[in-house]
Amino acid sequence: MEGIIKIRGLRKRFPVIKGYRDILLHPTRRRYVEALEGIDMEVNPQELFCILGPNGAGKTTLIKILATLILPDEGEVWVGGAEVRREPEKVKRLVGFALTTERSFYYRLTGLQNLRFFAYLNDIKESSLRIKNVLELTELTQVADRRFATYSAGMRQMLGIARALLADPPILFFDEPTKSLDPISASRIREILKRLVRREGKTILLATHNLEEAENLADRIAILDRGKRVALGTVSQLTHNHRFSLEQVYKSKVSA
Amino acid sequence: MLRKLFAFLYRDFLIAISYKFGFLLTLGGILFSTAGFFFLSRLFEYTPSSLKIYGGYFPFVIIGIAFSDYMMTALHSFSSTIREGQVTGTLEALLLTRTKVSTIVLFSSVFSFLFTTLRVFFYLLFGTLLFGISFKGNLLGAIIIFILTIIVFASLGIISASFIMVFKRGDPLSWIFTSASTLLGGVFYPISVLPGWLRNFSFILPITYSLKGIRMCLLAGAGLRDILPQILVLSGFVIVLFPLSLFLFKSAIDRAKKDGTLTQY
Repeated sequence: MEGIIKIRGLRKRFPVIKGYRDILLHPTRRRYVEALEGIDMEVNPQELFCILGPNGAGKTTLIKILATLILPDEGEVWVGGAEVRREPEKVKRLVGFALTTERSFYYRLTGLQNLRFFAYLNDIKESSLRIKNVLELTELTQVADRRFATYSAGMRQMLGIARALLADPPILFFDEPTKSLDPISASRIREILKRLVRREGKTILLATHNLEEAENLADRIAILDRGKRVALGTVSQLTHNHRFSLEQVYKSKVSA
Repeated sequence: MLRKLFAFLYRDFLIAISYKFGFLLTLGGILFSTAGFFFLSRLFEYTPSSLKIYGGYFPFVIIGIAFSDYMMTALHSFSSTIREGQVTGTLEALLLTRTKVSTIVLFSSVFSFLFTTLRVFFYLLFGTLLFGISFKGNLLGAIIIFILTIIVFASLGIISASFIMVFKRGDPLSWIFTSASTLLGGVFYPISVLPGWLRNFSFILPITYSLKGIRMCLLAGAGLRDILPQILVLSGFVIVLFPLSLFLFKSAIDRAKKDGTLTQY
C-alpha cells in the first residue's frame, strides 16, 4: 500500500539560543541539539498511526514538521503527495492539526465565533453547516455560545478537535490530545478518534506517551527515543504476539 | 480575500466591544488632551511666523497629534499582532490555516488602523466643534499624503514585526522611530525651532514630510503643486521600504521556522 505520509532520512536539530548573541551567530558557529536523527517511516491511508515516546523524544517536532510549522534540515517528507518544504500550502489543505495547547483560541470570543473565524480563514464553503456538524461530533453544541474563557480543559481540547475537522481534511494530527484530561473526557476523545478512522476514513497520526491509549487505538506504533525511531510495528508485532506487554517493550526500547 | 478581511475585522470588533469601558476611556482621553492643547495654545499670545499659515499653534498641534497616532499604530500594530499571537498561542493556529502569513499580519492590523481613523476623526471633530479650528481643505492632496504615509509607516511596522519574529522582544526600530519622530518630526512644534545640526536629522524622517504635507493641505489650503516635494519624498520612502519590509518579513518567518522558534516568546 502506498503511504499517505512518507518520511525518509528526516533530520532536525535546533540551535541553542540563550540570547541575542546566539541568534546572530553564523549557523556554522552555533551550538545545536539533535531533535530528530534520520527518521524513516510511512503511514498508510485510513490508518491510526501512533508515535509513542517519552518527553523530549521528538514527537511534537515530527508532527510540526509534517504540519509545515517547522522546516526540516535534511531528508524528504511527503504528506498526501506534497513535499512539506516545496509545497507547504498544498500540505495545509490536506491536514488538520489539534494543537496540544488549549490556549490557541480567542478567550473573549465564544466557541462558535472562534470556529467561524477559523472557517473563514480556511476558505470553507457552507461554513455554518460544517460548524454545526463538528460541534455535534465533539458534543459542544450546547456550549457553543459560551465564551471560550469559560470552557473546561476537556471542552477546550474538544474545540481544538472541532477546529482541526473544520475543513474536513483527509489527514489529522493529534499531539497528546488527552494530556491532563479526566478519564471520562479522555475516553470521549478516544472514541472520536476511533470514529474518525473507522467511519469517516481519516488517517490519523497521534503523538502520545500514554501506553494504554496507544495500545487501544493504534493500528501501528512507532516508538521514538531521543530523536531516533527505535521500534515500529503493530501491537502484536511489537509484543511478539503478546508474549510481552507493551510496557515491557517500551521500557526495553527507551532510555531511562 | 474579502471574506478573510471581514473575518479579521469582525474578530477584532468583537474583542474590542467586549472591553466597553476601555473604548469610553479612549474617547474621554481624546477630549481631555484636545482641551489641554487648546488651553496651552492660549497661554502664548505670540504666534511664530512659521505657524501663522496654519492658523496658530492649536490647529498645528492637533494635526500633529492626530496623524502621529497613525505612525504609532503602524509601527506597533504588526509587531503586536505577532507578539500577541506568540504569547496567547493563537499564532500557530493561524499559521495552520489556508491563509498566507503576510495576509494574516496585514489583515490583523486593519482594525487598528480603522480604530485610529476613528480617534483622528474625534480629534478633528472636537477641535472643530468645541475649539473652533477651521479647515481649508485640499482633500485630494491630504488623501494622497495620507495613503503614502500609511504605506511608509506600515512598511516600518512590518520590519519591526520581522524583528519581533526573530528576537522576540526589545525591538529597537520601533523605539528609534517613535522617539526620533516625536522629538524631531514636528509633531508638537515646528522643526524650525530645532538647532540647525539637529534639524538635519528631521529630514531623514518620513513623518516630517507627512505632517508638513497634511498641514499644508488641511490648514493652509495648499494645492497639489505646493505639496509635490512631500509627495515625491514619501514616494521614495515607499519604493525603498515596502519591498524591503516584505523581504525581511519572509526571511524572518523562514528563520523562525528553521530555528523552531515560531511560537516562542
